[in-house]
Amino acid sequence: MEILRIENLSFQYPQAEKKAVDGVSLAINSGEFVVVCGESGCGKTTLLKLLKKELSPVGEKSGSILYKGIPQEELDKRTSASEIGYVLQNPDNQLVTDKVWHELAFGLENLGVPTEIIRRRVGEMASYFGIQDWFRKKTDELSGGQKQLLNLAAVMVMQPKILILDEPTSQLDPIAASDFIATLQKLNRELGLTIILVEHRLEEVFPVANKILLMDQGKILLYDAPRELGQELRNIRSDHHMLLGLPSAVRIYNALNICDECPLTVKEGRDFLEKHFHEPDEQAVPAEYVHSDSIAVELEKVWFRYEKDLPDILRGTTLKVYQGEFYCILGGNGTGKTTTLNVVSGLNKAYRGKVLIDGKPIKSYKGNSLYRNNLAFLPQNPQTVFIKDSVREDFTEVLAGLDVPKSQRSERIQGVAERIGITHLLDKNPYDLSGGEQQKCAIAKILLLKPKIFLMDEPTKGLDAYSKHTLQCILEDLKREGITIIMVTHDVEFAAENADRCALFFDGEILSADIPTKFFSENNFYTTAANRMARQLWPSAVTCSQVVACCQEQVAQS
Amino acid sequence: MKAFANYHPAVLLVYFISVLGTVIFVSNPVLQITALLGGILFSLMLQKRSEIPGNIGFYTALFLMAAILNPMFSHNGVTPLFFLNGNPVTYEAIIRGIAIAVMIVGFLLWCKCYSEIMTSDKFLYLFGKAIPRFSLILAMILRFVPMFKRRWHSVKRAQKAMGFYSTKSYVDRIRNGIRVFSAMIAWTFENTLETSLSMKARGYGIKGRTNFTLFRFYAHDAGILNVCVLLAALTAVGSVVGEITFYYYPRITQLSLSPFAICVYVAFGALSFLPFFIEVKEALVWKYCVSKI
Repeated sequence: MEILRIENLSFQYPQAEKKAVDGVSLAINSGEFVVVCGESGCGKTTLLKLLKKELSPVGEKSGSILYKGIPQEELDKRTSASEIGYVLQNPDNQLVTDKVWHELAFGLENLGVPTEIIRRRVGEMASYFGIQDWFRKKTDELSGGQKQLLNLAAVMVMQPKILILDEPTSQLDPIAASDFIATLQKLNRELGLTIILVEHRLEEVFPVANKILLMDQGKILLYDAPRELGQELRNIRSDHHMLLGLPSAVRIYNALNICDECPLTVKEGRDFLEKHFHEPDEQAVPAEYVHSDSIAVELEKVWFRYEKDLPDILRGTTLKVYQGEFYCILGGNGTGKTTTLNVVSGLNKAYRGKVLIDGKPIKSYKGNSLYRNNLAFLPQNPQTVFIKDSVREDFTEVLAGLDVPKSQRSERIQGVAERIGITHLLDKNPYDLSGGEQQKCAIAKILLLKPKIFLMDEPTKGLDAYSKHTLQCILEDLKREGITIIMVTHDVEFAAENADRCALFFDGEILSADIPTKFFSENNFYTTAANRMARQLWPSAVTCSQVVACCQEQVAQS
Repeated sequence: MKAFANYHPAVLLVYFISVLGTVIFVSNPVLQITALLGGILFSLMLQKRSEIPGNIGFYTALFLMAAILNPMFSHNGVTPLFFLNGNPVTYEAIIRGIAIAVMIVGFLLWCKCYSEIMTSDKFLYLFGKAIPRFSLILAMILRFVPMFKRRWHSVKRAQKAMGFYSTKSYVDRIRNGIRVFSAMIAWTFENTLETSLSMKARGYGIKGRTNFTLFRFYAHDAGILNVCVLLAALTAVGSVVGEITFYYYPRITQLSLSPFAICVYVAFGALSFLPFFIEVKEALVWKYCVSKI
């Protein structure tokens, strides 16, 4: 049964030059799982908001949206509120009340459902989602994953027929994100719920979706089942930004010119590679790792805990980062990766052990000297970096703080802005920027401090594939200048592609540090999707491009 | 010690109003001392062990101060004991001082118990019905404050790690505090937009909103409520009729020990020790049940 029909829908924001949504027509059947993807600013969020009457942005709209054959404008308020559920991106901002149980009941309260029925429905929902253990907790005490699950449950309690989700996992760590996706899959499978999901972490959702909607500049680029889509993508030019965000199996398939079905999962990708390629006679030996002799950051047997009675977070952590190196710290949630960065940046003080920055103990840096032309820290949320109403004002303040004469300020700002590619954002309010743009501006602000050591905490969180690619280019540029980069990340793919060395953090210690090819090929679970696919044939190929290169080499030889 | 706190908020409210009302308005020494003892016992049950010694010190000091201050400044009464700076210190004033101290400490202890037991959600439940919007707004504020604090903290850390806002001078610190605050306001505004979207998406603003709550009025709530009302009514009647009226000035009255007065004392005693009785009963029931399992 057709549940949603969009006919020739166009939308233009006031004072915008281009249409945000441009002539979109599509039909969604009841029980379908549709994944919408496209780079940021392609109009996917606008399209989703238009589908929910209450959230429709103000602007010029044409075309029609029919829910169960009824035009959206004629839809009853109550039906629209309860039958079309909408989950937004930020887990924190969506929560309205202070208690978990109250949040679950909020929607039903609004609909005027009597207390006894609310009690039953809330109980049922809490049991289904496994919320009963934290049912009476305060919402502020929950983890990000729990918060987003609560947001989902608070929508599901209204018994929607369609569930619309706008990048619900972008602020979650990978484990919470895959739990969340698994819950969506369960809802779709067990309840036949129609789901429309915007997502840029496609590795997991691609195989489970019924249809993929690919958007580009407000238009539908492709709309088809995932497997067919993989084939059709070949007709798109190979440098299209969109291709960067696809699952590894699809990307590898896409880069090779082999007539076969498109693999979607790691398992299929592996079968695909084994079918068409064979193990090489000789494995490539990774090049010897060359690093500079001087050490930029050194931790020696560092111990740290937040409070006297709390357990140790760092238990004899030892780490050595060489000058000009790009060092990635990977590891699970809450293991102390961020704490390690905080200790290096001087925000937290170790109670035992040595912290050496540039060979000097961190304590010997008095006042601000540690942060002047020396060390800089980009926190997880780039928003916290900005204080002023416009990016330019913020930058000017930094330079004023550094005592740069007024005459040179605008020149320096311009220089950094051009380098990072944010000249068009300088006069905007930092809060109006997208996640990727904020990130770039935050990096630019930090570059004004001219750091030699750059610490980053999960910089790829919430970024789409193209923004990640931009970040990658910026970091490569910084490295070329000799800046040492230490990054804490969950993003295995990003680490594999960019790091000089990767390290696994576990139980308060850094367990192993090695170059990515060695680090990931020796891991069985904690490795990239590309490596999991190709490890039978080429154990040291860890990124998609490496796998593709190995494949092409074999094709050329035969 | 949770048994008493688990009663319905309305029962708790009636209970606290009757005890605190008696403590404030009836100046009979028997009732005041009973209330003080009840308050001590109740707050001992609610407190963490580590807090008890400190609190004993605090309330003893408070008690002594209140008791000493009255005879120093009040020279009423007919039985001077000695003279201080040419002013008479009377027997009545000393007794009155002790009575005031009993009342103040008793009152404070009961208030402490009140704040431990009547948490924000119970208060909200009771008064939210009268003003439905108010209860939602309060819930939103309670949600918002810890979030704001957390963000404030993260902004300050981020600025510090860039070498800003980390000087020792107080003027700078205040100035920087204001700057961070104004940034926070902008950020908050941005975030509330999303909150309001999430509210709209879930049908906020549709007519006929109901208020959901986890509290239920059970039979045992009704039982305790009846007991409370009965005991409080007896105390109230006793004091209104004048059966237990007591004066300190000019001369201390004879404590009334008529059968009715004794009834009132016993009634208020039962009321003051009610949480303790409930706690003991609950503990016994539990023990009995456990021994059966």
